[in-house]
Amino acid sequence: MTTATAPVTGALTAPHRLRWLLRLHRPALYVWTAAVVVLTAALLWLGGPLTDAAVHAWRQYDVCRTGATCVYDQDAILRYKDVYQYTTWAVLALPFLVAAWAGAALTGREVESGTAHLAWTQGVSPARWLAAKLAAPAAVAAAGTAVLVALHRWAWLADHGGIDTAKSWSSFETYYANGPLPVALALAGLAAGALAGLATGRALAALAWGMSATLALWGAVHLAAPRLYPAVTRTAGLDHDGPVGSGIVLDSGIVTADGRHLPDPFCGSSAYSTCQALYERIDAVGFFSVYHPRSHYWPLQLLATAPVLAAAALLALAAFVLLRRRTQGKAATA
Amino acid sequence: MSTLLPGLPRAVLRLHRPALALWTAFVLVTVGCLVLVASASDGARSGLTDCTAPGDGCLADPWAIDYGSLLGTVGGLTSLGVWAVAAWAGGALIGRELESGTARLAWTQGVSPRRWLATGLALPALALTTGSAAVAAVFQWAWSSHQDLTADEWATTGAFAARGPALAAYTLCALALGALTGLLLRRQLPALGASLALTVALGQAMAALRARFWPTATLHDGQHLSPHAWQPSGHGPAYHPASHFWPIHLVETGVVVTLAALATAAAFAVLRRRTA
Repeated sequence: MTTATAPVTGALTAPHRLRWLLRLHRPALYVWTAAVVVLTAALLWLGGPLTDAAVHAWRQYDVCRTGATCVYDQDAILRYKDVYQYTTWAVLALPFLVAAWAGAALTGREVESGTAHLAWTQGVSPARWLAAKLAAPAAVAAAGTAVLVALHRWAWLADHGGIDTAKSWSSFETYYANGPLPVALALAGLAAGALAGLATGRALAALAWGMSATLALWGAVHLAAPRLYPAVTRTAGLDHDGPVGSGIVLDSGIVTADGRHLPDPFCGSSAYSTCQALYERIDAVGFFSVYHPRSHYWPLQLLATAPVLAAAALLALAAFVLLRRRTQGKAATA
Repeated sequence: MSTLLPGLPRAVLRLHRPALALWTAFVLVTVGCLVLVASASDGARSGLTDCTAPGDGCLADPWAIDYGSLLGTVGGLTSLGVWAVAAWAGGALIGRELESGTARLAWTQGVSPRRWLATGLALPALALTTGSAAVAAVFQWAWSSHQDLTADEWATTGAFAARGPALAAYTLCALALGALTGLLLRRQLPALGASLALTVALGQAMAALRARFWPTATLHDGQHLSPHAWQPSGHGPAYHPASHFWPIHLVETGVVVTLAALATAAAFAVLRRRTA
């Protein structure tokens, strides 16, 4: 039916374009699907049997602490820790995989080899060509990453506090693998890679640029977000072991009588006479900590995710503008 | 100056000038980070009041407290450098030339395939060895200038390889694996991926095997474990004192150099079979 109504110029209809895109990038789709399936399985294993075994081992260990003889399943604890670490880093690596592929294979290679120019002469307008190239991969990358961060969050929560060595919400890898930022970074990586591919016209250079841009965006929001949201300042007496208040700590140390902030000497409570002497000598009156408690998790995540999504949109827009300028320039000189 | 070079090396140099510039920048940045961390710790140390070590009641700067992990982070940067070398060697050095046909063109212009590969590997190997040696020398200097501020970080992946000849061994092995995967797959992106995956797997395997490269020591009754001692997991109470660093490091260097040699030989064998 579509073939009968297709225009004779040979322009491809939307379903055709999608099929052609899928065929061209079938190996990439296979690799991505395999990565998502393997990681899904690993996270289900982590949140299910591995967590149960590790929680059981920690219960055994807690009994040991009071008893004389001690048998506990250390392997279960170590296995949980290893698999947790590997899956967490794998989730965080996904945006870079998308960026590398987008730069190298999506646009860079086609511009390098000239297939892009061929497509544009076959009735596919450059803007449509790029839109088709961005839309389907964006949906696939966002869906895969979203499923995996959700599963990661589920697996991280599965121990219900039963694993003493489980990572805290604020530890770097856990903080990012549990939230929406990897999804936004995957989209930004896709746009950055596509733009780099068009700008350089070389697959490997675009790969490097796409990944670097993704890393730079992550670094920027990592530094900026905790400083854009008001942090909590908490002071505590010197009889505490150190500054009170844990989470994402921006600054902590000692407050002196004249209000100056000094670094934490890591001495401990003033109950120890050596520490008491030290605190008297430097005129300390208490500990302070400037930090984000766990209740700031979602505002902080949104403050990091929103700018990255905006950057993704700007990068995609830049790719369209660049493409139009290039192809118009070509048409004018031709 | 470059006209003094014969044709083929000059061509390789010109083609990969951006890569050479990047590698030089990487070496300079790493050396800069090391000098910065070491000198900042000098300052932090002079600021320590009334104490000999962090933790016994002194006003310590985080630079002094975290010295081992800071150097470990710089060491992690060198691991990334090794990965980048693997990706470049598989993708840009060999894979792209075979995919685009430039290699075949060169072979018809009086350059034998063997000489093409030998030159393509020798020049990068020279640059990589020189750069790695410089980084390793400065890393060892930075490490030994505040060794008392470190703990068992000497055994962790980042800081372990970066302090000696193992760094050069890893970069050369990455180059050789890139050449081999490039020749086997003959396409830039699959070769890049395979080369990178093999190099990352090699680093993981070595980290897992490292504790076995030298016999461990056991703690006698009443003896205290030094904070510099490394207790590898899964080895019970056995440990490696910090003095085991060089024996383990040299064994690991030997293993990686052997693998690099094997991969290079395999690359030449693949090339001969392809072009015969």
